Amino acid sequence: MTKMYHRLPVEAYTSQEWFDREQQLIFSRSWRYAGLREDLPEPGHYLSVQAGLNNIFIVMGRDHRLRAFHNICRHRGTQLIRAVGKTQKALTCPYHDWTYDLEGNLISVPDEESEYPGGLDKGCLGLKPASVDIWRGMLFVHPDADAPTLAEWFGEVEPLLGPHNPAELVEYPEARRSYEIKANWKIVVENYIDVYHLSHLHSNTLHMYDHARAEYGWKGPHYHFWEPPAPDYAKELEKNLPSPRVIPEPHVGAWVPMLFPGIGLGASEDSWNIFVITPLGPDLTRIENRTKLADVSAWEFTKQEWRSAGFWQGFGGPKYSGEDAAGEEDPMASGDFTSEDIYACEQQQKSLTSPYLEIGPAAVGESPITHHQQAVLDFMALQAKATADNV
Amino acid sequence: MFEFHRLTIKELRPEIGGAATSVTFDLPAGASESFSWEAGQHVTLRFDLNGAEQRRSYTVSNPPGAPLRITVKREKGGLVSNHIATALSPGDQIEVALPFGRFVLAPDRPARRTHYFFGAGSGITPLFAMIHAVLSDEPHSVAHLIFGNRSADEILFREELDQLAALHPDRFSLRHTLSAPKLLSWFSLWRSGRLDADAVRAAIGETPPVAQDVQYWICGPGAMNGDVKSALMGVDVPANRIHMESFGGAQELDSSVTGCAATLRLHLPSGSHDIPVEEGQTLLAAIRSNGLSVPFSCQSGVCGACRARISDGTVHMRNRMALEDSDIGKGEILSCQSVAQTEWLEVDFRS
Ligand code: FES
Ligand code: FES
Ligand SMILES: [Fe+2]
Repeated sequence: MTKMYHRLPVEAYTSQEWFDREQQLIFSRSWRYAGLREDLPEPGHYLSVQAGLNNIFIVMGRDHRLRAFHNICRHRGTQLIRAVGKTQKALTCPYHDWTYDLEGNLISVPDEESEYPGGLDKGCLGLKPASVDIWRGMLFVHPDADAPTLAEWFGEVEPLLGPHNPAELVEYPEARRSYEIKANWKIVVENYIDVYHLSHLHSNTLHMYDHARAEYGWKGPHYHFWEPPAPDYAKELEKNLPSPRVIPEPHVGAWVPMLFPGIGLGASEDSWNIFVITPLGPDLTRIENRTKLADVSAWEFTKQEWRSAGFWQGFGGPKYSGEDAAGEEDPMASGDFTSEDIYACEQQQKSLTSPYLEIGPAAVGESPITHHQQAVLDFMALQAKATADNV
Repeated sequence: MFEFHRLTIKELRPEIGGAATSVTFDLPAGASESFSWEAGQHVTLRFDLNGAEQRRSYTVSNPPGAPLRITVKREKGGLVSNHIATALSPGDQIEVALPFGRFVLAPDRPARRTHYFFGAGSGITPLFAMIHAVLSDEPHSVAHLIFGNRSADEILFREELDQLAALHPDRFSLRHTLSAPKLLSWFSLWRSGRLDADAVRAAIGETPPVAQDVQYWICGPGAMNGDVKSALMGVDVPANRIHMESFGGAQELDSSVTGCAATLRLHLPSGSHDIPVEEGQTLLAAIRSNGLSVPFSCQSGVCGACRARISDGTVHMRNRMALEDSDIGKGEILSCQSVAQTEWLEVDFRS
């Protein structure tokens, strides 16, 4: 009998076959985060992103409109561009110098007459288009040129994501991080949406918010979550915020949604963060973090830091200390909630292959986990059906 | 569809100090269904003035769902526009044909689009209806209007546009260019000068698209249309995203070609006919003088009512405003504007 982890078989978290199916049916069939809008500041700038099995690049045309194409030369498939860069008017494949304009048209083929004496119909050899759009200051791509719009995909959950306008905020470059977690991507998602763990794993790191009064739920496959500041923090909130506000008063609280698949946001009164989850293997996942703060002077930040210093001085600390801690490097002694989460995810993944593993019952605060498992199953079933209908 | 109905004038309102007139109609019970329109469409009015029939097409200047209203700019010496401005009163009846036209913006609820509108003078009338339609029926989309006029006193719908901008600060931006601004004026203009290539590039650079399904709508007198369109094409805007209609002002008629005498084979829903076309005669005129009838309305190449498809021979079109390049590629012609260039023509009016 298949061993289950709530709604999913345990092998959904460990096997290459599941990983491959998810790559095909989830990550190659949905809108993928591709960066922040400011990553493409001017015409000619481009970047590429891996979206499941597809590598897609985005380039800004001279009309400031973004175009997205599959990053595949129509000659023999070589990837046209890598990472980020800037071009004037054309993209040339490194292999045989086939050249495309920013509309994806094949405009020149070296030695065309001698190499293709029978002629070459360049009109049929344009780059394959993909979809691109900007939403809440973020770039998104979809491999299908006729994808459902972002309004259809995120429209229902959007009002529950907080009053933030990320496009007006500025990135805090020091907070930009990319790291790997040795766990399946769903383990990482489940940790992100596990309401039960907040008061336990993070008993000493996230208690400025009142987890008992959290409000959370689902809009389609997207999870939304909001919690108010805890009474101590709320008493003099304007003074206690560590940095200047990014949303107008009287809005308060932390909004921590998880958009499908694996696009976590974390926004509060004074910051806006992304937590993008990319599966790399059955037990390896990459996280990309970026943070935006208020667009005000350094002096405003300094003042707010001083004002709030009193509150933060006595606040928090490691979950384990003294004898409980396993030396200086122990993530559980770090006093940093991200290290605590990574530790928990990796420790959980380690047990998934044990013959003695048996998952206990889900708690109330874990209902988002079972819901997410169902969302994964449903999305895959829908896409598998769409594939079957198309053949 | 091109038959005329007698509609009663409900309200006449002078605009911009009497230089234009808005006419609102009362629709008889039961007619509002058939008189429904899409943002950007026209109606044709028929008058009998000094014993001659006059037809003119005007854009419906209200969004779908609002009362049927047209806004008519007074032309110097213009027979019909002056008649509307001076000789009509509420309660009068006018002959009006059902709305039509293909310069339309059909709002799409789930769509997420950026619409740039470039208008000049009375070219605002269809754009005004379109902007309304976007703001009320396409909630995830935004609209940017760049509106050119000579001076602030000549801006049609100025207050209405300000109200829209105040109501939708996140979804509608409004920028005015004036080519002859008055020196002492409180009016806050965005740029002075004509709505030219520089203005187009500056506007897009200031408010680059967020939603990436971008559409460009152009409506103004002849020269501005061409300027804006080539400015857009100059920065690689694909032609299928540009929608345009010529409006008011001097229409550039290409009357350089007279046309020859020809035989026309005509396919109508009722059957086929071979008829003669005289030298210099339009196909529509030839058809009508042979006692046959096909749809037509404005007779000036604007409305597209008289369109047909040519399958043999060639014609010259004096004006082809109602057709997009892609229509012409498919062999579409405006019979009211076409004179023969070959002695044998075959034209299909079915569909
Ligand atoms: S593979 Fe790109 S030019 Fe040959
Ligand atoms: S009748 Fe209007 S275009 Fe010919
Ligand atoms: Fe956590």
